[in-house]
Amino acid sequence: MTADRTVSRALQRAALPVGVAATIAVLLVVFYYPVGNVLASAVRDGGHFTSAPIRAVLTDPFYTGVAHHLFADPLGVPAGVVDWTGAGFPSVRLGLFGFTAYQALLSTVASVLLGLPGAYVLARYDFRGRRTITSLTLVPFVLPSILVAVGFRAMFSRRGVANDLLGAVGLGPVELLGTLQIVVLAHAFYNAPLVTRLVTTAWEGVDRRQVESARSLGASRIRAFSDVVLPALAPAILTGAVLTFVFTFMSFPIVLTLGGLDLATVEVWIYARVQSLALREAATLATLETVLSLAFIYVYLRYENRQVTTRRGGQSLPRERLVAGWRSLFDPRRLAIAGYVAIVAVVIVGPLVSLLVESVTDPSGSFTTAYYEFLLARQSSGAVGTVRPLPAVINSLVFGAGTLLLAIPMGVVVAVAATRGGRGSRIAEAILTAPLAVSGIVVGIGLLLTFVFGTTVAGHRLVVTGPVAIVFAHAAAAYPFVTRNVAPALGGLDPRLREVARSLGATRLRALLEVELPVIAPALLAGAAFAFAISIGEFDSTVLLAEGVDSYTMPVALERYIGTRSLGPNLGPATAMGTVLLAVTAVSFVVIDRLGGRWEP
Amino acid sequence: MRRRTFLRTAGVGSVVALAGCAGDGDQNGTPSDTQQDGTSGDGPQNGTTTTGNRERTLTVATYSSFTGDDTAGNYLKSAFEDERDGVTVEFEVPENGLNQYILQKQQGSNVSADMYVGLNTAELVRAEDGLDAELFLDSRGELDRADAIKPDLEIDPEGRAVTYDTGYITLVYDEDEVDPPATFDELLEPAYEDALITQNAQQSDPGRAFLLWTIADQGEDEYLDYWQGLLDNGVRILSDWEPAYNAYLDGSAPMVVSYSTDQVYYHGPDVDMSRHQVGFIEDQGYANPEAMARFADTDTADLALEFMDFVLQPEQQAEIAVRNVQFPAVEDADPGEEFSEYAYEPPEPVTHTYDELQGKVDEWIEQWARQIAGP
Repeated sequence: MTADRTVSRALQRAALPVGVAATIAVLLVVFYYPVGNVLASAVRDGGHFTSAPIRAVLTDPFYTGVAHHLFADPLGVPAGVVDWTGAGFPSVRLGLFGFTAYQALLSTVASVLLGLPGAYVLARYDFRGRRTITSLTLVPFVLPSILVAVGFRAMFSRRGVANDLLGAVGLGPVELLGTLQIVVLAHAFYNAPLVTRLVTTAWEGVDRRQVESARSLGASRIRAFSDVVLPALAPAILTGAVLTFVFTFMSFPIVLTLGGLDLATVEVWIYARVQSLALREAATLATLETVLSLAFIYVYLRYENRQVTTRRGGQSLPRERLVAGWRSLFDPRRLAIAGYVAIVAVVIVGPLVSLLVESVTDPSGSFTTAYYEFLLARQSSGAVGTVRPLPAVINSLVFGAGTLLLAIPMGVVVAVAATRGGRGSRIAEAILTAPLAVSGIVVGIGLLLTFVFGTTVAGHRLVVTGPVAIVFAHAAAAYPFVTRNVAPALGGLDPRLREVARSLGATRLRALLEVELPVIAPALLAGAAFAFAISIGEFDSTVLLAEGVDSYTMPVALERYIGTRSLGPNLGPATAMGTVLLAVTAVSFVVIDRLGGRWEP
Repeated sequence: MRRRTFLRTAGVGSVVALAGCAGDGDQNGTPSDTQQDGTSGDGPQNGTTTTGNRERTLTVATYSSFTGDDTAGNYLKSAFEDERDGVTVEFEVPENGLNQYILQKQQGSNVSADMYVGLNTAELVRAEDGLDAELFLDSRGELDRADAIKPDLEIDPEGRAVTYDTGYITLVYDEDEVDPPATFDELLEPAYEDALITQNAQQSDPGRAFLLWTIADQGEDEYLDYWQGLLDNGVRILSDWEPAYNAYLDGSAPMVVSYSTDQVYYHGPDVDMSRHQVGFIEDQGYANPEAMARFADTDTADLALEFMDFVLQPEQQAEIAVRNVQFPAVEDADPGEEFSEYAYEPPEPVTHTYDELQGKVDEWIEQWARQIAGP
């Protein structure tokens, strides 16, 4: 009996170190090795270290704009600044990297502005369907860019809905397509819901007793908000901002499909280099891109670590009713919310609804079910090379479930290691967050050159493809989101909770599973939803690892339907498949939330 | 005598009959002696000799829209298999196209397919520039049907890549909004401000073809200036054919770079044809031939050669044209009335030869892209 106890305690004690080791092992195999293989060519030349390729990029004004002076002629910089001041600060050339950062910054601001009020409404008001809407916040996140482009064209093109609305009030028409504005809007479409989800989770974790204490001690509402609520939200807001910045910095398809080549990002160039097989140049650009993103994440992690907000996991703040009878019409706050809802209806709901409408509209504008019939015909076709919708749905769900099983433990383990702190743990965490900061194109080409073509390990030729490889790749891409959701919540827990459990004889693992995680369940759920969303939407590595014809997912099937020639140049089948994708993901999110909400160990 | 049923695309009235190729798998395929004039639904002449029931598989690498229901690829597969005992055609559809095989060769692994269908000149140049070893075998000299190919459409002086169809890149415009430009220089005039959508030459076939067309017209020293003029006049460059064409349909601009076969898709009782007019600038269209080639690593070189000859037969050429919505590569194919009525050939096709592109095409595209994106 006691021997059993001792063994089981020993196992539990080993669980976390083993978890860390397993996480690192998975990352090594599916991420660091393939990616390192590609990036190494940026600094290696025939076995020797070389800085020439990196220098060539840094000193090229096309890439670095005005900053190329720093690398080409650092001593001449002060004189240059003096000249520039003398000339009255004319606008300077940004370069590809500068412009990419500039549009990412604009996109981040837009996403935070559009996402924050949503978190306020979802966290502080009660209305029918609130929980469902919270579950659905990440739906835009999984949409392939080609469909976002369809929805945005339907909304914002010259003959689109937005111009019709403007026309009704005597304004317009506005041509947004091809402008930086539409790219920023589309980025906000993707990322504002992400900000909303993160901040809602944090807001629901604010202990009402702290706010009530502050109020009873005489603090005004505003004071109570700025002293108690805001510090609890700040890490979540910044997490959302950082994730958005990194994502939009590496944005590639949406920039070209809605904007144009004149708005090109670094990622566009990486893709073009890979296409023309100039892998060294691609690796050089990708290395710089990754270094910038990681530096950014590292600075953020340093900040997050300094935020100490202890919460005891008490009750959430009470919610107000959103609709309070006829008085709602005169309440300025509720009117502001109505205005916000109108904006969301145009920017986020509009494109989604347009997509549904497109899937039942033929080119001449009349109702048709042809595209859904096309899906059914594909489903029942036995022809070679036919991509069938049902297997795509099933594959997506299976890979998504597999990703959850892997990414949640990985993410929690890394979060625990991160909140323990210690020297160098920020750097370690930043490096462990690398999957966020590396271009999907580079991950794809890395996997191709190593596992898909086969690699030699200890004299054995090793080829890694198929469903298991896909799940591993998805988990590597998804687990940082679990960590980013869980780590701040864990860090904010009152350490005494854990200490009490430990002093009563619980192992570290048991304290984590039975005390800490249940308290931060909302953050864990949000992390799970993110992981699932990443898996569903992932395209770059899936399409390479999908072996032959049996492991295509919904986005891969959708992309295949775009190229179909039997229906002519027509996005109908793709929009129908996209609608299926939306429906499947929406239901999945609700299920994850409902099942997860009942989780009580 | 098996009866074969093909899924027919609507509107193609003729029933296909297969030419009785002497596909007996011997080295130098004897010239096909029977040219059936057939419009009968009967199977082929029993010219196939069974080769001791040898199971042979031909792995054909191609792009994704060449396979699947109703496609040229699937048609060719079933027709070719029906004609030969023990032969199976399999498709590989790598996401990154020919690059997959160039990389395999670079890595020193064996190329995993026997042949590639869907090559264009620029890809052939890239395969040549990026490799020390030969990726492809010579095929043209060994084909019976090679002489039937229109000379203008040949893309490979070395005879490795053999053209099987071609598209022509042109403008598609809305005649209610603009008159088509007669020359490239007209595109710079105020009448065409914000009027044109094209595609990114770094990743899109029609986009690259349009860029090369401007280089052919303006010259390789002037084309960047010309494009600066286009930019100043509000040209938009989207990622690929699909986003560009749909932005055009959504009314973002009155002209788009597309294919001269546009109306093959868009004709019918309730289609407004005014938005599907084909405009030949300078009375030209840029030819973008598609070719097939055998990989040097193949172990079924003879079967691949038979397949190539099969693809070049008049009947197959007609089928490919209709299903792939491209023009046949040979002189003696008739894709049928409907296709011929709605697919326009430019009065003067232009294209760059392999020798003109070699060592240059990537640099042209890179300089062009820098000009456009130069922030």
